[in-house]
Amino acid sequence: MAISKKLFNKIDCVKIEKVTKKYGHTIAVNQVSLEVCGGELLILLGPSGCGKTTLLRTINRLVEIDEGRILINGKDNRDFNLVILRKNIGYVIQQIGLFPHMTVRENIGLVPKLEGWSEAQITQKVKELLEIVSLPPEKFINRRPKELSGGQQQRVGLARAMVMDPSLLLMDEPFGALDPILRKQLQEEFIKIKERLNRTIIFVTHDIEEAFRLGDRIAILKEGKLIQLAKKNELLVNPADDFIADIVDSKKKFKHLENLTTSDIMIPLDKKYFFTSDSLTDSVIEGMVREDIELGIVMQKEKFLGYVKLQDLYQKNDKNLKHFIKQSLVFKPLDSIALALSMMKEKNEFIAVVVEEKPIGILLANEILSRLI
Amino acid sequence: MILYVWKTQQLGIKTFEHLYMVFITLIIVIIIGISIGIFLYKRQNLSNIILNFLNAIESVPELALLVILIPLFGIGVKPTLVASVLYSILPIARNTYVGLTNVDFQYIEIARAIGLSDKEILWKVRIPLALPLLAAGIRIAIVFTMGVVTLGGLIAAGGLGGPIQTGIHLYDKNIIMVTGLWIGILAVLLDSMGNFFEILLRKRYGQ
Repeated sequence: MAISKKLFNKIDCVKIEKVTKKYGHTIAVNQVSLEVCGGELLILLGPSGCGKTTLLRTINRLVEIDEGRILINGKDNRDFNLVILRKNIGYVIQQIGLFPHMTVRENIGLVPKLEGWSEAQITQKVKELLEIVSLPPEKFINRRPKELSGGQQQRVGLARAMVMDPSLLLMDEPFGALDPILRKQLQEEFIKIKERLNRTIIFVTHDIEEAFRLGDRIAILKEGKLIQLAKKNELLVNPADDFIADIVDSKKKFKHLENLTTSDIMIPLDKKYFFTSDSLTDSVIEGMVREDIELGIVMQKEKFLGYVKLQDLYQKNDKNLKHFIKQSLVFKPLDSIALALSMMKEKNEFIAVVVEEKPIGILLANEILSRLI
Repeated sequence: MILYVWKTQQLGIKTFEHLYMVFITLIIVIIIGISIGIFLYKRQNLSNIILNFLNAIESVPELALLVILIPLFGIGVKPTLVASVLYSILPIARNTYVGLTNVDFQYIEIARAIGLSDKEILWKVRIPLALPLLAAGIRIAIVFTMGVVTLGGLIAAGGLGGPIQTGIHLYDKNIIMVTGLWIGILAVLLDSMGNFFEILLRKRYGQ
């Protein structure tokens, strides 16, 4: 089989020009023009039905447009061979869509295999990617999607999208279906991955916080039209209309740092996050995978000991959960957020726990910051 | 009594003949059925006509079908095989077709998005995910084939239908009962084997 050439080493520009897509009488995307430049992460933000997903899918031609054109490095995307074009564009979706009949390795290595890579090359690449998405290769390479939690599946989904080293990644609410704390953790990891890979990324979401956390620039769509495309702070300072002012305004209530307490900002914990200190490590792993969380609070009877992270538990074979416990800063629900933030910064801690008799919520450093924009 | 019938009616050899016919039929019918299934998947506008036609064959009583085939193929093994094949194509072709077309759309979509061609999607995604349903079709075909091959005894095809014929002619309850039971046990055994494979496939390829 012929090995498809890499179409572009770097995406200098994806240029969307007056693109319109209609479904019958409904106009899903209406005369949208925008440009994404090399290495940046552009967010397409808007309520459901605003056309953001449709617009994303016109780029790799899962949706064929009715009017306008899309230029990738100056060339119309309809002039590329469709299959080769798509192999050069990574694609990640909320539903993940790992093939149930294939192992992790086969899922990630599917396209390389069709491209005629050797088995050794595939294995090496898969291992490398699993490392990047924080899944220990030797534990995960031969598992099937059914044996993975949602968060782990999405990591594999991300690895699959990166396997051909695409210079352009399209992501459609990849973290949308995950538990709130896990979503934050994955966003955090994703920011690191993004910096490391330096890819052009177009990212669809309806979550404003996610948009502000991940995006370099944000394009806000409404009823198929592009309302504003700007950097984050520009949106805050200079909203194009009431609709955008409304969206950004919802964040203003967080601006009065001194009035806020930790309980306003924390992410509440429920029962599934709690584990007892005498649990076996394996059973905690099992519990976390079943509940699709990657962070657990460890208790000794009523006493709060600290937290454990799923990735750490995979790192070594040790039955004793206590050896994995990490100490965390502890705050009371009525402590001011300013205090919490400065202490977390001082100690360089990413996580803190809010305790009222027992732990009731989690503070994530970046979470606080992003809500205080 | 069982041993007596087994010896006089040579049930060992007959069983061998019988299973031989069943397996030949299955091999032929699996090849034809899957091919038709894939063909229908590629020409979906023909699927209704062809599946209805196969359905029509299916609705002809087995005995009538055998009789109709005698002028064309004479008596014996040939018309029996042809009848079994005609009879068993439908479940396999239909299940292949349904299995291929009913793969959850998200898998097709993501396969397209990561750059698989239509042909690659068929072989790497659709066919593997259709295997459990295909296995269910083959199971049905096994049961049908057992029935038709047994009837083949009527037109001198050999197999276990022969002793049953003999039993009926001689009014010998023992022969009828022993052979009938034996055919029943064989059918159940084959079906459970099919079931076993179906479960395996479902585990491996289930959606």
